[in-house]
Amino acid sequence: MSITVLKPGLQTTIQSRPRDGLRHLGVPASGAADPLSMALANRLVGNDLDVPLLEAALLGPTLRFDADSSFALVGAPVAARLNGRAVALHEAVSARRGDVLETAATEQGARLYIAFAGGLHADVVLGSPATYLPASLGGLEGRALEAGDVIATGARSAKPLRTPREFRPAISGAWALRACPGPECDGAAADLFDVNWTVGQRADRMGLQLEGPTLAVSSGGRMPSAAVFPGTVQCPENGSPFVLSVDAGTVGGYPRIAQIARVDRHLLGQLRPGDHVRFLERDSQAAIDELRQMHDYWREWLPDIDAVI
Amino acid sequence: MELKYAHVRCGDDLLAVAVDDPPAAQALAAHLRSRGGWLEVVPGIESVTVRFDAATLDIEAAEQRLTTALSHDIAPLPESEKYLEIPVVYGGDNGPDLDDVCERLGLSVDEFVAIHCASEYRVDMVGFTPGFVFVGGLDERLNVPRREEPRQKVAAGSVAIAGGRTGMYALSSPGGWNLIGRTSFTLFDAEASNPFPIQPGMRIRYRTVEGSGT
Repeated sequence: MSITVLKPGLQTTIQSRPRDGLRHLGVPASGAADPLSMALANRLVGNDLDVPLLEAALLGPTLRFDADSSFALVGAPVAARLNGRAVALHEAVSARRGDVLETAATEQGARLYIAFAGGLHADVVLGSPATYLPASLGGLEGRALEAGDVIATGARSAKPLRTPREFRPAISGAWALRACPGPECDGAAADLFDVNWTVGQRADRMGLQLEGPTLAVSSGGRMPSAAVFPGTVQCPENGSPFVLSVDAGTVGGYPRIAQIARVDRHLLGQLRPGDHVRFLERDSQAAIDELRQMHDYWREWLPDIDAVI
Repeated sequence: MELKYAHVRCGDDLLAVAVDDPPAAQALAAHLRSRGGWLEVVPGIESVTVRFDAATLDIEAAEQRLTTALSHDIAPLPESEKYLEIPVVYGGDNGPDLDDVCERLGLSVDEFVAIHCASEYRVDMVGFTPGFVFVGGLDERLNVPRREEPRQKVAAGSVAIAGGRTGMYALSSPGGWNLIGRTSFTLFDAEASNPFPIQPGMRIRYRTVEGSGT
């Protein structure tokens, strides 16, 4: 059982659970940039929440099914057609051998997830099948998909499920991200929380540039490199902050002025250039309490939510 | 051992401990990793950061776990006997910042290369990207800060300096260090039995070699 890539889209990769526990060797998390959408997509086709699936950035792929299968689309709103017939997000769809799935550019949000019943086969490297492009790890030869690629899928039929309305995340062009002040957040850098930011053109799996006022930081380029994580907001001496995402390096030498709370880190995968961002300041325990409230809410539909968010 | 470590909160699920130097950071990280209870234990140059599972652990409980771990004896980082010689093609397209760095330091390129190849070095840390190596022991005369504007793309194998250290880029990646040359030494190979041939504490020396002159 397999699918064939007819058009790859802008940057479509195989993603999954992250590559955890190796940051001390410089190995970033990788994995789905929006793991909530990954989990929802896998749920619809009866998979474990974090098995390999496709993540498409901004422009989706065109795929041909080489055998009968089921798939589900979740994430950024996008026009999709199966043999010319419109397909909705958030429902499992049956495809017949030879069917062609076309997906267009995302209308809002940055990433579309396409899960297949039984999951995709992928190279497990350093403990995870997730694609990490900078080092060509995991996925399909560690690279983005190209036309002509054939990807093996598992064999499993899926029940015709739909995501209940109350479990369909809203994807818009304006985001509120809960965050804790970082260890180098002195008085001036705290302005981060007081103003509106716009996502710059540099927005990918490595990180997102923020455009707005210039922040005052004063490390003089001599801050000793220290650990950074997905969701860390750094600010170099030029005063222009950026948010690290799932593929970002594991240590950095720029002041860490904030850390996006675990409860909202998955939203980074849907931010796109031009989106508006506001940071909501939380202390550590308040952010932890909100994480657990989020888990309690989602557990009804995604019992293993705490393994992916 | 009396309590001599202070920690700070770096987020909702991150705590960092300040230490004096890279060997202390590596030793403490190994200690915390061996005790378990953390999702990640990441040494920095003068710090160790741990990530914990906030789904099950409150911030104060995580701080208590860290404090308990810090109250035990921590074995020092073993001294490495291993000595590696790293070949470097200095300057030109291989090290596009070398001329600028030399101008700022008031050195000729030949003087710079001679000083850089004369020192004995010790690996402080591996990290940033898979196999990126932070090398301590840079001669004081070669001390320059990071670039104010990070580069979006640095070539794999680049050898660079910043903040009193030499860094080696295993992969093509963004980066803010001043590029002085390139090495052909393999810093990371995911397919190899040992993907990370350079480990913290190892000793190295640089040797200048003629480049292909791209």
